[in-house]
Amino acid sequence: MVVVDSDSEIILRVKGPLELKCQLDTSDAQLMQKVISRTFESLRSQVKSESCVLAVCDSPVFIWPNRGALATPEEITPNAPCEDLQQWIQTDDQDSAGKRSAKKKSKRSSSASVINLGLMMEVTQPGPLSAPILSKTVQKSHFLTTTLPMDCVVCTSCGDAIKDACERLLEALTHQLCDMEKVTLQHMRGPTVLVPEVLHFLLPEPKGLVTVVYPAGVSDSQLEAQRKELHQQFELPDDRPYFRRANAYHFPNEPYKDGYLRNPHVVLTHPTLDNGKVYLVQGIYSYHHYMQDRMDDNGWGCAYRSLQTICSWFQQQGYVERSVPTHKEIQQALVDVGDKQTSFVGSCQWIGSIEVQAVLNQLLGITSKIMFVSQGSELASKGRELANHFLTEGTPIMIGGGVLAHTILGVTWSETTGQIRYLILDPHYTGAEDLQLITDKGWCGWKGPDFWDQTAYYNLCLPQKPKVI
Amino acid sequence: MGRGYIVEDTVERYLSKLCEQAGPVTGLLIGQSSAQRDFVVMAIRTPQSEESTAGNSVDKELVSEHARQVSRMLPGGLSVLGVFIITDTDVKDTLTTLRQLVFAVENLISSERLWNPADDEVTDSVMLHVNTKTRKTVCRTFDVKDPKSTAKPADWKYQSGVCSSWATVSCCLNVNLLVPLPHDKTSAENMAECLKEGLKVWAHQIESGVCLIDGKKLPEDSELIAGQRRNVRQMFTAQLLITSKDQRLPDVVQLCGGSVSVRGAIHSRAFLHSNKPKAKLAEKLLKRDVVSTVASRVQMLLEEENQSGDKQQTEQLCLPRRVFCPVKVNGPVCVCDYQFSDEGLAEVIDRLKEMLDIDAAEEDLDTRQEMTAEVTESSDTAGVCLESLCEPAVELAEASEPKKNNYIGVAMATAVALLATAASMLYLSDA
Repeated sequence: MVVVDSDSEIILRVKGPLELKCQLDTSDAQLMQKVISRTFESLRSQVKSESCVLAVCDSPVFIWPNRGALATPEEITPNAPCEDLQQWIQTDDQDSAGKRSAKKKSKRSSSASVINLGLMMEVTQPGPLSAPILSKTVQKSHFLTTTLPMDCVVCTSCGDAIKDACERLLEALTHQLCDMEKVTLQHMRGPTVLVPEVLHFLLPEPKGLVTVVYPAGVSDSQLEAQRKELHQQFELPDDRPYFRRANAYHFPNEPYKDGYLRNPHVVLTHPTLDNGKVYLVQGIYSYHHYMQDRMDDNGWGCAYRSLQTICSWFQQQGYVERSVPTHKEIQQALVDVGDKQTSFVGSCQWIGSIEVQAVLNQLLGITSKIMFVSQGSELASKGRELANHFLTEGTPIMIGGGVLAHTILGVTWSETTGQIRYLILDPHYTGAEDLQLITDKGWCGWKGPDFWDQTAYYNLCLPQKPKVI
Repeated sequence: MGRGYIVEDTVERYLSKLCEQAGPVTGLLIGQSSAQRDFVVMAIRTPQSEESTAGNSVDKELVSEHARQVSRMLPGGLSVLGVFIITDTDVKDTLTTLRQLVFAVENLISSERLWNPADDEVTDSVMLHVNTKTRKTVCRTFDVKDPKSTAKPADWKYQSGVCSSWATVSCCLNVNLLVPLPHDKTSAENMAECLKEGLKVWAHQIESGVCLIDGKKLPEDSELIAGQRRNVRQMFTAQLLITSKDQRLPDVVQLCGGSVSVRGAIHSRAFLHSNKPKAKLAEKLLKRDVVSTVASRVQMLLEEENQSGDKQQTEQLCLPRRVFCPVKVNGPVCVCDYQFSDEGLAEVIDRLKEMLDIDAAEEDLDTRQEMTAEVTESSDTAGVCLESLCEPAVELAEASEPKKNNYIGVAMATAVALLATAASMLYLSDA
């Protein structure tokens, strides 16, 4: 018997394009602003009108939020709980349109489930109405055409009524139109108008998901003042980014366009040691390994791949905008700093922790600490240092020794017994991005101290995160 | 194995009467095609032209033009299925002419359409030859998708009450189009071109929209009339939900020479044969009617405009309103006509007679579905040039409501001033 937790969260996300069209006289800035504001006002009226419809994606459900949450099919009533909507959503393993026969719960109860809705307009209404009028205006001027990418999120609990959730979604939509209007008017320069874009950011509890409207095409570096205000408003520390574009929240049901796996370690069960605590990498990284990107680096590229994993962390936390470097770019960087000859580029030569440190500095402006152990058996005693690193920096560690390179994503360490386990991400994997396979076979997995060659020496590169927003 | 045409017995009587006329008579056959069989609901003789053609040759241009105009008068689900000829000449001698006629008619009609037929649709047109001497009828079909197709035999069977239990799907739909005019060219043809482009985009939105029938989204292949008796007439109301096209042009702001808008409501209707029609057929036929009725009226308005040839800076023109007329006294199937605001119902009755050979009286006409549009006085030039696209549906309900331009302008100016001083709050949203 499953007891349904009526407090469990549901995220309702409504997305949809709204057309912004108007004729403008760009010679008069004030008049332009008036016209644009008026156009936004009519969009707000449109969203608040009875013609506004919310379509639950992948389902036959349509809701009229401004008609008391009237819905079709008629089994859905305004006071029904939001979780009822989930029963109507078709997943891939269904073939009929309609209710699911048994409620499916995912094995891993991760974050709240997301219900996606589309914003639509009903163009029909009961008649009779007047036949159309064609109006022609001949006047040399400008014409503004764009679409506003509406994207609102409301967090609610399973048991909340659909009617109330709809009211909140409507408020969010109206509010977002106001934000978009402000952004558009602020960034208007003569005949140039910037389009707003919407991003959601997941802030630490209890703040949760927050929505921000930025002007599209303006880079993060030019928006620092706005980020400062946001950090102040939400009382966030000012030494790490929360509102850069790269920090945008990635919704669970959306696939990543680049195809790399993110954080494969989260599906693992962490080891339990007497008085042991788990210290993990903080944030999101991508798993880079042999043979990816049609690059056959089997046998020599392991340190390069570990470096790529580290670079992906800095990119996805918003510290850098540049994409993860290729093998060639990594090699070129080493030539540029004078560490290698020009013939190095295009070769299959190994690199070590020192080179990783040099490239992180050269390409990303990141400094790293180097830890040296003269033999692998000493790694068992480095628990405190490694734990501290994950606590304060939270970045993935590249470890290279003798012949192999790996990435350390965390440690489980007991201060009292000294027992230690290492969470290892292995760049030597040559297969496809199959999370099941990768975790089952230990390509991402917890290892004991005997994982290391007890007599070989190791160098560890511990990247330090910058203290910026 | 040819196609089978089920034909209303009223058509038989109509064709018989035409047999008594002198000289060859050509005309159109109106109805609906389906995968299994085709239904013919009406036959319409070609109207006489002013210049009577010498001899008995068939005037292809006249018949095609007639077909083009008749197509505008057919609601969804009805179309020109083919042509007929009543003559004393033998069918063998007229086959080539009739073949050319069938293709000419189809080409002209399809050139005006804003939608494309689906792959699974019937593309056969029918040709009926009635020999006045022997009273024999010969029925052949041609595949108009294939210019080299040959005549295939087809069945022609008369029946009573063919369309008496056809289903009707209808809706009243708001149209809200705004297109810019090009900056450098402002002739009438350019406005027509711009409107056509704008209509294409809008037609695509309609086509991709969601269609609810009697308030429900039905699975595509479900039957519309599930479990009902086939003799009961069915009427369904449809609702259409659309989303805007997500277009990101590189230049958000472009030069223009003005703008054109089409705003108001239309009544759309489609008829479905009673042989287990599916929900997706209803949706397809209704959407096509929506697009056709707007496009036809805009076209008609522009044709009138060209003739009057005025070059006013800014003007407002009323599209004609749609008036329905039943084909048979007790059937659901109707034809329609468009009544301009300066016309009376007498003109409508004249056109129904001339184009469709229907004798209608004023009482037969259904004028209740659309109200005549009225150009309001407060829509002056300054107001019109500030019009924006998206006004709520409710505003369009009463054409006599004065436009709120000036008052909103003042309110907005104040709001903008407030926004400017509150610039520091720009990027904050409520936690």
